[in-house]
Amino acid sequence: MKNNNLSILLKGIIKENPVFVLILGTCPSLATTNNVAGALGMGLAALVVLICSNVLISLLRKIIPDSVRIPCYIVIIAGFVTIVEMIVHAYFPALYDMLGVYLALITVNCIILGRAEMFAGKNSVGKSALDGIGMGLGFTVALVLMATIREVLGNASFAGNPIALLEPYKIEFLVKAPGGMLVYGLLIALVYVITRGKAPLKKSFSCAGCPNAGSCQTACTSAQAPESEKGDAQ
Amino acid sequence: MKKSVQSTIVLVTICAVMAILLALTNSVAAPIIKQNQDAAANEALLVVMPDGEGFEKVDISSYELPATVTEVYKEAKGGYVVTLTTAGYGSGFVIMCGVAADGTVTGAVCLASTETLGYEKTYGESFAGKDAAGVEAIDTISGATKTTSAYKNAVKDALNTAIILGGGSVDLRDEAQILNDNLSAALPAGEGKFTKLFIAEVIEGIDAVYTADNGKGYVFVIGEEFIPVDENGSTDNATVKTAYDILVASVVEDIDLTAYGDALKYITAAKKTASGNYILEAKGNGYGIMGGDDYHPASGEYIIVRVSMTPDGKIIDTFTVSQAESEGIGDACADEKFYGQFDGKTESDYKDIDAIGGATLTTNGYLKAIERAFDALKILEGGSN
Amino acid sequence: MEMFKSLIIILLSSVLVNNYVLARFLGICPFLGVSKKLDQATGMGIAVTAVMLLATAVTWPIQYYLLDKTGLGYLQTIVFILVIAALVQMVELLLKKFSPSLHKGLGVYLPLITTNCAVLGVAINNITDGYTFLESMVSSLGVGLGFLLAMVLFSGLRSRIDETNIPRPFRGLAVTLIAASFISLAFMGFAGIVDALFA
Repeated sequence: MKNNNLSILLKGIIKENPVFVLILGTCPSLATTNNVAGALGMGLAALVVLICSNVLISLLRKIIPDSVRIPCYIVIIAGFVTIVEMIVHAYFPALYDMLGVYLALITVNCIILGRAEMFAGKNSVGKSALDGIGMGLGFTVALVLMATIREVLGNASFAGNPIALLEPYKIEFLVKAPGGMLVYGLLIALVYVITRGKAPLKKSFSCAGCPNAGSCQTACTSAQAPESEKGDAQ
Repeated sequence: MKKSVQSTIVLVTICAVMAILLALTNSVAAPIIKQNQDAAANEALLVVMPDGEGFEKVDISSYELPATVTEVYKEAKGGYVVTLTTAGYGSGFVIMCGVAADGTVTGAVCLASTETLGYEKTYGESFAGKDAAGVEAIDTISGATKTTSAYKNAVKDALNTAIILGGGSVDLRDEAQILNDNLSAALPAGEGKFTKLFIAEVIEGIDAVYTADNGKGYVFVIGEEFIPVDENGSTDNATVKTAYDILVASVVEDIDLTAYGDALKYITAAKKTASGNYILEAKGNGYGIMGGDDYHPASGEYIIVRVSMTPDGKIIDTFTVSQAESEGIGDACADEKFYGQFDGKTESDYKDIDAIGGATLTTNGYLKAIERAFDALKILEGGSN
Repeated sequence: MEMFKSLIIILLSSVLVNNYVLARFLGICPFLGVSKKLDQATGMGIAVTAVMLLATAVTWPIQYYLLDKTGLGYLQTIVFILVIAALVQMVELLLKKFSPSLHKGLGVYLPLITTNCAVLGVAINNITDGYTFLESMVSSLGVGLGFLLAMVLFSGLRSRIDETNIPRPFRGLAVTLIAASFISLAFMGFAGIVDALFA
């Protein structure tokens, strides 16, 4: 049992890393990773929202009728996002300015709605909390990793501290939009090499994490590569 | 049916609970957020008012303030921080000035400028702690008169703004406006457009005469009094009537300068009135001829001064006909404040005037022109004898 | 004239310079997920544009006439996302009832749109940027068209990628992202053009 809980916690960080393996939450992964501080802030904000929403949804899983579960989840998530947003605005104004609209957009981050639908709506409170922590940490680690690569190589600095040694060699386009996509693509390939394809890597973008997967079969099946196996969470 | 009712209830309940949670968080966070935002906005204001607190933006649309004022913040202790946009040597000269509740300047800084010499960066320091009289007493800097006088005027505007917003009233008109308002009040038919008349006759007790541009009459100035004369020449003031009659009867006659050859080479025009007075236009070599540097290139133009004098060498009136002295400095010689000083002077005391600040060459050139007019007067008087 | 000019600038800059997908990373999921075939990409793009316009038309008055008036500005996110979810649901129902053929074409994309961050993003950004109602509608149209443009361009590229023999680790999303990176690089060239057009 203990082992099981540990695996729930760890799978989010490595085996089912939401960013590199499940390919969820791509928008913030790209948008907020041009500096380490922003990425860390984004990751932690999402972590808090994820834990809170997972716990609450798990608590309410027997009360919420199936037919309105998606709107209920959305309201709960949007509520927690706004709470986190206000707290960040009040106590970390610099971070608030840095993240801008992306903070509010945690609401539509597929990771959170996806975990609500796939895990918290079906599991106990304790497990849901662990799942939230695991997935949130996995998200944070992935964001910080990407941000480190982009900021160190692209801006010759780490978390805002300049690295003089790299100054003449910085590749500026890495901190701009195209650089984000390039680094993300390369990292996905790298993770594939490291795990030798053993991780449940989707061969293409799939809707496994999308809460609407059931209602959009056409779009999803055609978007998935033929050899794609069904996500284990489905 | 029962199911959908239950679903609706659950959804509405969740919405309500989340809304309450949000309201609670908001009640805690909102004041802190507001405080943070104020602090960020105030940081800039604190530069000119170091001990200011609780700044709030004032809606200035309902006040009649100096035209330069763009933004005003009121401070909790009754002070104001005023942002002004004016024009010095270049346009877009933005100054922020703090005024304490007691009407003293707490500080002034330049936020943006296109000035050339850099005086605007430090000039503001001299205003700190000064009241209105103290500000008036601060000298503009020679060689950067435009920059520093624009700065000084902006600070004065800030002081006036504080007075107006504090409920007081200030005459915002500049001198030219006040004069024009007085003239218009005396002669409404002049429709607000008047020109100072160049006088070549001795008229007792009159300080200045203005003529309406539309020909509807004259205004005579005696001290603070503005006395109109309509186009038919009727007025109830005896002094004015006398002066008016003299001016109307005045006849001038051109003097042929070629007859005098090189002796009058610095005189560009000369006239004589029937009463024996002379009107002479003389050249003076000021900065336009003698000077020139990187910022103020020499124009190559003389200063031309028109002077009217009695045959015994007393100046009746003076006027700067043309000049191309450096902008913002020497061009003050075209200002009546400068040339008006010569009225009533004679050859012995005409140099006894206030020079133009920072424009020695211009002042010397001007005096040279007057000296040449006196020289010419002697030749012309001698010639006619 | 001045207003017309500013509307054109808003439209062009949201289509080209600040393209939500390629420059601001909003709506990446459907961009990567539904851009495999041209007809799907077009359908998704049109559906997103329509929902964006509808969402802005509803959220703008809500923000200014309801939330701001009652001091409930902090409910913005929660209200907007609910409005969008409800709108999407409604459009789907209406399409199903009145135009089954259109529903067959677009219907499948609609549920995906609720969680498309570009829709919520444009609704919130229109408020943050202080746009008037007209400007907001033009900006939403521009963002939607920009999304459509990115989708259509990319679907052409992807059909070529799928025919190529790509090293194993790069197959699937990795190469897709790298290709998207190059399109994004090309779009960076638009920066400054819009302002210069009217300068």
